[in-house]
Amino acid sequence: MTIGHSGLARLAAAPDAASASSAPAGPYLLEMKGLSKRFGSVTAVSGFDASIAPGEFVTVVGPSGCGKSTLFNIVAGLEEPDAGSILRFEGKGCHAHELLGKVSFMPQRDLLLPWRTVIDNAVIAMEIEGRSRKASRAEARDMLPEFGLAGFGDQYPHQLSGGMRQRVALMRTFMFKRELMLLDEPFGALDALTRTMMQRWLLDVWRQHKRTILFITHDVDEALFLGDRVIVMSARPGRVKLELKVDLPRPRSAELVTSPEFIRLKRIVLEAIEEEAMKSFLASGAAAPQTDAMPEVQP
Amino acid sequence: MSASPLTHPAVTPGGSAALRLLGPLGRLARGLAILLAVFAAWEALVVLFGIRPYYLPRPTVILAALVQTPAPYIQGFLRTLSETLIGFASGALFGIGMGLLFFRARALRELVFPLFIVSQTIPVIAFGALVVLWFGNTLFAKAAIAFYLTFFPVTVNTLLGLESVDPRQEALLRSFGASPLQLMTRLQFPTALPQIFVALRLASSLALVGAIVGEWFGDTVGLGVLLLQGMYTENVVSIWATLLVSALLGTGFYAAVAGAERVLVFWGAEQ
Ligand SMILES: Nc1ncnc2c1ncn2[C@@H]1O[C@H](COP(=O)(O)OP(=O)(O)O)[C@@H](O)[C@H]1O
Ligand SMILES: [Mg+2]
Repeated sequence: MTIGHSGLARLAAAPDAASASSAPAGPYLLEMKGLSKRFGSVTAVSGFDASIAPGEFVTVVGPSGCGKSTLFNIVAGLEEPDAGSILRFEGKGCHAHELLGKVSFMPQRDLLLPWRTVIDNAVIAMEIEGRSRKASRAEARDMLPEFGLAGFGDQYPHQLSGGMRQRVALMRTFMFKRELMLLDEPFGALDALTRTMMQRWLLDVWRQHKRTILFITHDVDEALFLGDRVIVMSARPGRVKLELKVDLPRPRSAELVTSPEFIRLKRIVLEAIEEEAMKSFLASGAAAPQTDAMPEVQP
Repeated sequence: MSASPLTHPAVTPGGSAALRLLGPLGRLARGLAILLAVFAAWEALVVLFGIRPYYLPRPTVILAALVQTPAPYIQGFLRTLSETLIGFASGALFGIGMGLLFFRARALRELVFPLFIVSQTIPVIAFGALVVLWFGNTLFAKAAIAFYLTFFPVTVNTLLGLESVDPRQEALLRSFGASPLQLMTRLQFPTALPQIFVALRLASSLALVGAIVGEWFGDTVGLGVLLLQGMYTENVVSIWATLLVSALLGTGFYAAVAGAERVLVFWGAEQ
């Protein structure tokens, strides 16, 4: 047992401190209370509580398999949470499926349609809404440079690099003009250099488009660099392990990640994550045939 | 999807049109060159080994026959082409329609699909006899046989293609608020298209077989009729000439379908 008790105590205190200092004025855009989801014998999410204020950039980190994508699928309206879960959007309680078409969702993979050009992939959500194709195409064409896709509007996905495909997927998400955007590990598959460039670029775009973003990542640096607030999820079943306000000045520059304050926050988040990662590691070890080889599984 | 041997052209921003134009022309020239070589070798072999015309006439003789009396061959070509086209087009439309229907209505599929399979176990000759009873010796009787051979593979592959849709892609479009119809037109059908074309290429040959077999049940015009007449009169040159014209029809039709595939399924089996 390497996880100290002092760390736990500090982490337990952290959510209160964060919410006390950052209680946002006005109603929340999205509220989740006691959100739970079971898949057969697997409980993916259990008692997840969080509220997102308009205009906020909230990042969610957690060990893989802890139910982050499940959470997003619920908020995107694709999965119904289990009975007893409370979901409120724009101040009104609602079923998950009522959120279909109301939230701009970007799944983990770019999922571009190979028979559509960059422009036509970007406008698909607007097309589904029934907007004029000509007008949305013109709008997309104007947005290309902002997304680093100038001159690539008429290319097909298979002609693009991974980073460019991801930007097309982001452009598609931005063009579906909804207050709340859900980004599920959008930069997970990119190399480190492209990734940091995309992060700074995303902050620029976010500032200009004034949206509320809920952003999943498993990279702590990314979570802190981007977010107003970081939510650390526990190992499966996923709930909120730690909520941490990130009081770092904006606009944020690349040097921020080496500042003492950043490092301090990072240590807090890492400690919480490590504990959870250890739990899920032990849990998977316990599920393996030789359970007796794993001492002190119970915390 | 990866099973379909698609060769998708390298589309480059500026020169895609030029490439697409050059491609078919180049292929055509290559095909003609091969054909000429085969004819030359054939002619040489027949002359060299003194093969009797009864077994294998010289290509020049066959071509001469074609040039001297082109009318029956042209008539036969057009007639068989019409039968094939009508049967193929209606079979393809019906097959795609049934594939879509079975995809949407699982209960219907469990009810009707076994009947489809049973229908396909009937030998085409037996079915041909029935069709002639129903439609008489009309063009539609032959088209019906071509239809019968076309619709089944198209139905099966349409269904297969529709079921290969990535559920995550479907979830994404649903999150944008897509209706079932929008899912069909914007995701499911395009995803199925490569698979549908695999069946269409197969069906293009089958439809021609259907049309020719149909003509054997009795008619006065058509390539199948010419073949029968050649057999009865032991006119070997005529048989061979009809064979060449049939090959031309079959190859041309297949090439047209494959060409449509290259244009419509330009993205290949990527993913
Ligand atoms: N549709 C589903 N059916 C069954 N199990 C699922 C389904 N979706 C997710 N799960 C399970 O729920 C758990 C959480 O998955 P997910 O939300 O994708 O995790 P994360 O995105 O945090 O890596 C996993 O154990 C996964 O196997
Ligand atoms: Mg995930």
